[in-house]
Amino acid sequence: MKRATPYLLLLPALIFTVFVLAYPLIQNLFNSFYQVSLVRGTGGWIGLENYEKVFRDSEFWLAFRNTAVYAVAGTVLALVVGLAFALLLNLKLGRITTVFNVIYTIPWVISPVVAGFTWKWLLNDNFGIINHWLISLGLIHEEITWLGNPDTALLCVAIARLWQFYPFAMVMFLAGLQAIPEEQYEAAAVDGASMFQKFYNITLPNLQSVSAVLLLLGILWSFNDFNMVFVMTRGGPMNASMVLPVLVREYSFVFFDLGKGSALSVIIFALLVSLSFLYLKALSRREPA
Amino acid sequence: MKRLLALLFLLSLLTVSCGKKHDGIELQLWNFGDLPALIEWVRSRVDSFQAAHPGVRVVQSEKSWNMIRELLYANLTSGTGPDVMNVHANYAAEFGGAGFFTPINTFEDFEEVKSLFEPGLMESTRHGNNYYGLPCSGIAFTLVCNADLFDAEGIAPPRTWSQFREAARRLTKDTNGDGKTDQWGLVLLGADRGSFSYRFAPFLFKAGQDILTDDLTKVAFNTPRGVEALRLFVDMHQVDHSITPGFLAYHHSEVNDLFCSNKVAMSIEGPWFRTIVDQKSPGKKFYTVPVPVPDHMIALYDSLPTLQDMMMYSISAFTKHPQESWELMKSMRTLEADMDWITKDLGGIATTTGALYSPEAERKEDLALYRRELRFARPWPPHPGIISIANNVITPWVQRAIVGELSPEEAMAGAAAEAQQILDGKK
Repeated sequence: MKRATPYLLLLPALIFTVFVLAYPLIQNLFNSFYQVSLVRGTGGWIGLENYEKVFRDSEFWLAFRNTAVYAVAGTVLALVVGLAFALLLNLKLGRITTVFNVIYTIPWVISPVVAGFTWKWLLNDNFGIINHWLISLGLIHEEITWLGNPDTALLCVAIARLWQFYPFAMVMFLAGLQAIPEEQYEAAAVDGASMFQKFYNITLPNLQSVSAVLLLLGILWSFNDFNMVFVMTRGGPMNASMVLPVLVREYSFVFFDLGKGSALSVIIFALLVSLSFLYLKALSRREPA
Repeated sequence: MKRLLALLFLLSLLTVSCGKKHDGIELQLWNFGDLPALIEWVRSRVDSFQAAHPGVRVVQSEKSWNMIRELLYANLTSGTGPDVMNVHANYAAEFGGAGFFTPINTFEDFEEVKSLFEPGLMESTRHGNNYYGLPCSGIAFTLVCNADLFDAEGIAPPRTWSQFREAARRLTKDTNGDGKTDQWGLVLLGADRGSFSYRFAPFLFKAGQDILTDDLTKVAFNTPRGVEALRLFVDMHQVDHSITPGFLAYHHSEVNDLFCSNKVAMSIEGPWFRTIVDQKSPGKKFYTVPVPVPDHMIALYDSLPTLQDMMMYSISAFTKHPQESWELMKSMRTLEADMDWITKDLGGIATTTGALYSPEAERKEDLALYRRELRFARPWPPHPGIISIANNVITPWVQRAIVGELSPEEAMAGAAAEAQQILDGKK
């Protein structure tokens, strides 16, 4: 009995994991090989037909491009902004630093749905504060229809995403900055290194592993981000900001083709797993043994 | 370990014993709609039903309109979901035709109940030889004109397309002299695919254009008349710039705000609009008129159809208590219950003949207009794929034409080809 006790105690967690993680994943994989339509009912095994339908769909390629732009550009920019704020906070100006630390972290703790609605109203062409400010500053002459224009909608959502992700990057970078030994900067100062040289030769190399983790997490999270895009644009106008997670919903719950939706989910999953694997492998090669 | 297991067993027993169980019949009622007055109305009807049927317990659940199809498909395809629900009347074809709703003409007293309702509205709940619901909350799409702006400009609400275009052009202006337009003639609800198609279809109907052929096998909207209806919006947007430039991002809230703040002069709406305006801007006046007609059809102004929409109460095909569900549904749609749609603002208009022609109805603002419009109005064709055609085909193609990506001819041809694929079961 004593030997079995640990396993018995683990059992609830194991059952929970199987039901909420393994079962949906496996069922989703099965669905992707079957004709599963809520409208036409469930048909038989159709092999790779759902995958073929996805790859033949021009909307998929548009969403793929948008997702890549949204994930990569949004994450890289969030990292740059996060690093900039982390460097500012690392100046250690007493209480002011603590206050700003809290203020800068606020976007991160706001629910993505609330943040999405907030940005939607900030960017509203007629009543939004952003147009009001830009006009007041004389930067624009007429209101810009940020979310109603296919050329700007994706950019706006990416900025909102950046706004939400940069605090996480900032906190991680700040922790990384505080872990850099002070002696390295002192030695560089003795050698007469400029501020930029210190940043380039000491700060950045020391933040390499933090940056790698942030880049990977940022891209993974952005690739899977449904809330912000759905709340702000629903993939519109005219699919201009359509991203893969929103397209999964379109396939599954607008066209009610669960087979096609499942196939796309599997594609996204495979893509992200491969990306993570390749990235981590490349990273491990670069790290000294 | 034994103690732990014993404790867990006791706790589970306690949990089970604390659960409240109802001995009689339990019915699930799903109420789709966010209007507080409607929720309260449903609650009061449920209370009076339960008082009259002590053996039946009704569990009322509030559901969002935005998720209606997803929720119904997800539940009804697996044989679960509510016993009774309020849905769009055009779901008679999609869900009734698929066997998800109970044909209510199988109930003994159906003919008697049917005779309470306006015949045209009752027909909207039919698919094939079966009726799948009792009408509730009739809607006819009309044009609402902002009285402040129309009166200030000294123009009357438009009746023809050229008057409509001219009114929109005149009411698009720079009101504060800063050199930029801050008031537009027309607002369109472009971010919600369903709502957008519901605002374009009335213009097709007013042009005498069908969506599908009578036998529902062919697309019918790709004709010179259909193209002209689309060209009207294209010209208003691209030539006159009289449609709000950001319309592709607008949901109901943006449209309501623009109208109530006098930034737009016209919108295509239904009977719910007055309630919304009264809440946002109490006392604000607007004119409700039929959707304009092509100039050469002005002689038929009073009889050309607009788009009819309606809710209906339906019974799930999977209910274990069809008779009790039928009784509940009837209690929601008595003449007395329908009079509340005259005396209160519940977002639509009454559907029983008794309520529609009651003395109280004569005093209701705009009701005479809606009554007349509903007499000629037509619903979406009763094809199971029509919602998909409206939302996922007509809307994106029409929008692409309005913003200038395609010509009206190209857009209508593209939409027709894609819609035909749905009709042929290829998509």
